[in-house]
Amino acid sequence: MTFFTIIYRGLQRRPVRTGLTLVGIAIGIAAVVALVGISRGFEQSWASGMKARGTDIVVSNMGSALAPKPFRAAVRDAIAVIPQVAATCAIFVDLTGIEDSSMMVVSAREWGGFSWQNLKLVAGRMPKDALEPALVLGQNAAEALKKKTGDSIQLESTELTVVGIVDGGALVENGSVILSLPLYQKLSGNEDKINIIDVRAVPGLSSDELKQLCARINHQIPEARAMPAGEHVGNSEAYRFIRAMSWGTSLLAVIVGVLGVMNTMLMTVFERKQEICILLAIGWKRQRIIRLILWESALLGLLGGIGGVTIGFAGVKVLETLPAIHGLLEPDLSPRLMVIAVTIAVIVGVISGLYPAWRSSRLNPSQAMQG
Amino acid sequence: MTQLTQSMTEEPSNNVRTAAMRYVFEANGLCKDFDEGRVRALRGVNFRIAQGEFLAIMGPSGCGKTTLLQLLGALDLPTSGSLLYRGVSLPALPDPALYRAREIGMVFQAFHLLPTFTAVENVQLPMFEIERSASQRLKHAINLLKSVGLEHRLNHFPGMLSGGERQRVAIARSLANNPSVLLADEPTGNLDSENAHHILDLIIRLKRERQMTLVLVTHDPSIALLASRTIRMIDGQIAADPPAPQSH
Repeated sequence: MTFFTIIYRGLQRRPVRTGLTLVGIAIGIAAVVALVGISRGFEQSWASGMKARGTDIVVSNMGSALAPKPFRAAVRDAIAVIPQVAATCAIFVDLTGIEDSSMMVVSAREWGGFSWQNLKLVAGRMPKDALEPALVLGQNAAEALKKKTGDSIQLESTELTVVGIVDGGALVENGSVILSLPLYQKLSGNEDKINIIDVRAVPGLSSDELKQLCARINHQIPEARAMPAGEHVGNSEAYRFIRAMSWGTSLLAVIVGVLGVMNTMLMTVFERKQEICILLAIGWKRQRIIRLILWESALLGLLGGIGGVTIGFAGVKVLETLPAIHGLLEPDLSPRLMVIAVTIAVIVGVISGLYPAWRSSRLNPSQAMQG
Repeated sequence: MTQLTQSMTEEPSNNVRTAAMRYVFEANGLCKDFDEGRVRALRGVNFRIAQGEFLAIMGPSGCGKTTLLQLLGALDLPTSGSLLYRGVSLPALPDPALYRAREIGMVFQAFHLLPTFTAVENVQLPMFEIERSASQRLKHAINLLKSVGLEHRLNHFPGMLSGGERQRVAIARSLANNPSVLLADEPTGNLDSENAHHILDLIIRLKRERQMTLVLVTHDPSIALLASRTIRMIDGQIAADPPAPQSH
């Protein structure tokens, strides 16, 4: 028999209570995995979308909305003349409900801009010219909208024909409705307005030089802010709000977990008061009693954490298959997040055990002789 | 003087050393109050217990017998007076748990075995404070249970054992770290007369084999007759105490 046998037996004493506590922690940790995984996945999807388009810098004005604020299209010309800029592509991105789908990414791109080049046709063709009333759908968007080439889609009260299905090489690209910028500006009444400029820098710029280029653009263009691709979403107010909400909700779930474990461990200490006194009477040091209680609560956290990661992982996978968001969600369920979640659970366990452990260490061994 | 008490003292005086050799315990004016002095469990108790002695403590309920045993086991602190273990003040021990683990074996009236552990596991519990590997602990526990005649009950939980068997397990547990003193609080109080007789025989045999000092609290005059000396207590005071032998 080892010390861990004693710890394990402590949890085995009340299997139902231990089980319910584990479920409580597991739900909290599952919430952490799901919410944080989805919000981080959202950020990473945008970053990989930018990478797929070959964009080095994104110029946008990410305010408090999910889509950036519009600014003058002439800004693009001011950026294009900067020596370290190899190419630019003006874009108007919007998030809007289309038919049965409550939220789709509509990406209107400068006709002939480099952001069309990464799109590989899976079916049909590309629009013939900038003003053809046509659009292409990313593979996931086509699946979500249940559209094929030749079907029509109503956008801003105009029927547009789906002329092609494309593979954009990233989830955000594949979940987008893509059309030419001039057409969308005309349909939406946003003529001469754009809200994103994809910038491709000259080859060979280091990350520091890219940052310097961003600083130069920011100096010249007051309407928008330039950031290395991928960082712009993470720095947007809307995304920061989402991230804060996901961590905040996770924190609440974790606090509930802490209270659950603390309650269980306090009950354990009260129930095992005489046992603890006997252990003290037969020579156990108070530090060993403290270690016993802390290890028990840490083990509860570990097991609950493993359960929570499993539930969270499975839950997100089920969520991905729901028709409303199928193909639009790319959660970050990396091993790193799993390790973080389990670590949080163990820390929750240890913190929850501190007060019960302290209470147990205050017991008087002379109470062993009573009863 | 044992390794424990050597580690606890610095350069003991000759008088202390002599006393330590003669007496395991020495109490002077020992008092213990509870409930902020409203209950006076011990009122100026004086006694000496010699090495190897079998001392019985008798008296009516509430006379302070168990409180005295608690103080001897360093389970509680006296309110005033001095209590020495081999010349070292028990209340001043820096680590009472170490004293309880290495020097003292305790047997309780209600056995106090942990119900979720088997007999052999219960016996191993005190050994966690001593440097022993898991296999050494197991081997030693099996030997102890054999010595109390329970080799066929090693993996039985306390709920599966009779009262007499439970007390045998508790006795084996009390011997886990080879203590020099055994403190027994009414060890036969929860047993029928036949089991009580066997348990008492066992305790006395083990005391003799291991040359331990035995302090036994009892109500039963027939048990007290087996002791080499009996202290009678009334109202927290010693009513009768024959002189302690100088050595055994």
